[in-house]
Amino acid sequence: MADINKLQSKENTLFKSALRFYEIKQYKKGLKATEQILKKNPEHGETLALKGLFLCNLGRKEEGYAEVKHGIKNNIKSYICWHVYGLVNRLDKNYEEAIKCYTQALRIDKDNIQIVRDLANLQIQMRNYEALNETEFQLVNLRPNLKQFWIGLAFSYYLLKKYDSALKVLEAFESSLKEKPVETKYEVSEMLLFKNLITEESGDLEGALKHLEQFEDKIVDKKSLLESRARILVNLNRKEEAEKVYRELFDRNSNCDSYLQNIFKCNNINLENPSDDDVKKIIEINKGLLEKYPKSLILRRTPLIYLKGEEFNTEMKDYLKTYFIKCVPSLFNSIKNIFNDAEKAKAIESIALEYYDQIVKNGKFDGDENKQYPTTYLWILIFLAKLYDHKREASKALEYVNKAIDHTPTLVESYMLKARIYKHDNDLETAMKIMNEARELDLQDRFVNSKCVKYMLRNGNIDEAEKTAGLFTKADSPSPLADLTEMQCIWYEYEKAMAYAKKGNNGLALKLLHQINTHFKDIYDDQFDFHVYCLRKSSFRAYIDLLTYEDKIKSHPYYFKAAVALIRLYLKLNSQPRKTKEELENEKFANLSPSERKKAMRKARKAQLKNAQAQAEQNQKNDTNKKVDDDPDGEKLLNAKDYVEECIPFVKSLLEFAPTRIETHILATQVYTLKKKYLLALKSLKKSYALDKNNAEVINNIDQFVKNFNADKDTVNATSRKIIEEEIAKIAK
Amino acid sequence: MINIRQATVEDLLQMQNCNLWNLPENYQMKYYIYHEVTWPQLSFVAEDHQGRIVGYVLAKMEEDQSEPPHGHITSLSVLRSYRRLGLASRLMAQSQKAMAEVFDAQFVSLHVRKSNRAALHLYKETMKFDVKDIEKKYYADGEDAYAMRKDLVPGSAAAN
Repeated sequence: MADINKLQSKENTLFKSALRFYEIKQYKKGLKATEQILKKNPEHGETLALKGLFLCNLGRKEEGYAEVKHGIKNNIKSYICWHVYGLVNRLDKNYEEAIKCYTQALRIDKDNIQIVRDLANLQIQMRNYEALNETEFQLVNLRPNLKQFWIGLAFSYYLLKKYDSALKVLEAFESSLKEKPVETKYEVSEMLLFKNLITEESGDLEGALKHLEQFEDKIVDKKSLLESRARILVNLNRKEEAEKVYRELFDRNSNCDSYLQNIFKCNNINLENPSDDDVKKIIEINKGLLEKYPKSLILRRTPLIYLKGEEFNTEMKDYLKTYFIKCVPSLFNSIKNIFNDAEKAKAIESIALEYYDQIVKNGKFDGDENKQYPTTYLWILIFLAKLYDHKREASKALEYVNKAIDHTPTLVESYMLKARIYKHDNDLETAMKIMNEARELDLQDRFVNSKCVKYMLRNGNIDEAEKTAGLFTKADSPSPLADLTEMQCIWYEYEKAMAYAKKGNNGLALKLLHQINTHFKDIYDDQFDFHVYCLRKSSFRAYIDLLTYEDKIKSHPYYFKAAVALIRLYLKLNSQPRKTKEELENEKFANLSPSERKKAMRKARKAQLKNAQAQAEQNQKNDTNKKVDDDPDGEKLLNAKDYVEECIPFVKSLLEFAPTRIETHILATQVYTLKKKYLLALKSLKKSYALDKNNAEVINNIDQFVKNFNADKDTVNATSRKIIEEEIAKIAK
Repeated sequence: MINIRQATVEDLLQMQNCNLWNLPENYQMKYYIYHEVTWPQLSFVAEDHQGRIVGYVLAKMEEDQSEPPHGHITSLSVLRSYRRLGLASRLMAQSQKAMAEVFDAQFVSLHVRKSNRAALHLYKETMKFDVKDIEKKYYADGEDAYAMRKDLVPGSAAAN
């Protein structure tokens, strides 16, 4: 029998050109080449696998996988087949599977450098640092002359916190060079700072400090140099020297809060709980700096935090007057947290009212020669309106903001503020209308447009919001939402989801919340392309930050908000009887007259048909990877078998990334109670109880837990039952 | 309180959010990451006392070998409610200083919409940029851009 895996020379050449087509991403041409080979050699394993790879890259995933698997079956001993299988898995972000395939390929061809490099990338992505270290070692052995592999090896030691080995590898490489490689000043500098970071993290602070001194001239990133030096000096308790460096840094950027805080700390000031003596020192240092940096924003504000009584009043008077004259819109925001102090809040209110009276009476501040511009009066009005809005005294706030509008009917800020006051007063309809007036005053400004869109969504005007948002989205995008989704506009998706949920359009709400989750997945996957890039660019420090950040990306507040909303929505759906398709349709068009409803339903059905057609056509086409939305109304999501089950991955993420938030544990308790995972439910129940035992949801959860558990007791094993009964007795009344 | 500091990877999502609220030119997260890991020294943020980012400058170096090294402002914006504090100039000054110091930038360039008179005024009068050229149909919607430039003299780039 002829060997199915043998090719004639002509086909062999074709095969090589197909490989080349893959490298230059000419997938269609590659596919043709493989098909040509297969005409003569229909069972040739490597060609089948390669064909599958092209198909997958052209979006024909199912066929592609089938061909790849067929190829492997026909030639299980080919590293190419396994490499290809790894590549299609990587394309689908199945990194775990891809690693297995690469490992298999390397068993057959252990020194294939391309496969080894690909494997290293996947191992970083999977944070498999031990294995990565071995792989990097292999790369150095294969090509001991290549700098990038040495750096990769050193970096893998760093990730394993084997700092000595990391430094040794870097030194060994540098001393083994006969000729200095061509490096930019920046690359040299970044390498020095990386070495310094390794030394510092290893705990050798003296060594790190000396190293900085030794190479000071070669480090071009002076800010990083100074920051490292200052930080190390603090940790060595050499505070006087550290303060000097922080003052140098402050001279570079006199609006950087952390430098200022550190100057205070170097003077042994307790910033959390300052004594009278500490306050004196703060004011003195601050005053000295302010003389030198009169334009610094943070220096103007610092005394307001620490001073009390009459001293505070004097300082605040000066502060408010300065910024009233400067017409600063964020003035009230800048003192919002000072406003939390009841005594200071009272003082601020009376100072502002006093200034208001002075200007109304004389057009100038008492004691001043010059009259004020009318804008000063205007911004005092806005400040007072904000102040009363903050206190939720709507009528007073409106009184001042209306005065502001009467005074200057063209100032966008006044309308925005007025809208906000109505929003806080729960009149969403009026709020929206006024925000729209604000928008119409400055159609070029996206900020006020965005605000208006948000207010429209809050008021349930979903279509109008989409249209308004569309004034700033790309014209060639299929819809404003499509553009905003592509641009990962999370706030819009979230607000729109909430608006849909409020209207009972739960499918679309689920869909948008899932979309936010997808953004986070994509942002996590984004790092893949940076593994090789960063080391090549000598961006060690930024790369380390990137890895750390990606590991905890789901701890971001945007993710938290969306995950909480998603779980709540699923739980709500779970508590209601399922609706039939007809009921859902009727609900969607509930506000329409019967004839309009018929029309709308016909239109919707047509759109659905069109979408299905587009989908079918897309499947036919093979030149694009783009997917047509296969669930435009979120119906598939609504048809999920078990809503509670759908919550589990999100509950797990919250438990991992937001373990200190009470919402996390409230929702985990509910989900796990429904899933009859009583031990897990109890764990979160206890945590939420510890965070706030008076929380209404926590109290409700206890009752629900006890009820469900008691009904289910007999199915729980004896040990768990005992634990649960003992623990719940401590919190249930 | 406004705190101005170098941007880190952790700030990027909020910078993207700030950009989407304010400006019609938007970018995916990957593009922000690209800036941050390639030129970490050049991007800065302004945050309020709650750590909310109210302004940012996203900047890079141009890698066009035919010209001397120079920086480019990819995007600069400050929330409308935080105007009149000089945040844009302060952010810009920090970025420009780093361009000159770390990357030997000789000048810095940027694009501005022809219709955006407020921004043009800010760059011209406050930040001392010059219009170097008009790039026809630079923006996706067909609008022209002013290509602006400012020389960076070593040591004088930053003003506090």
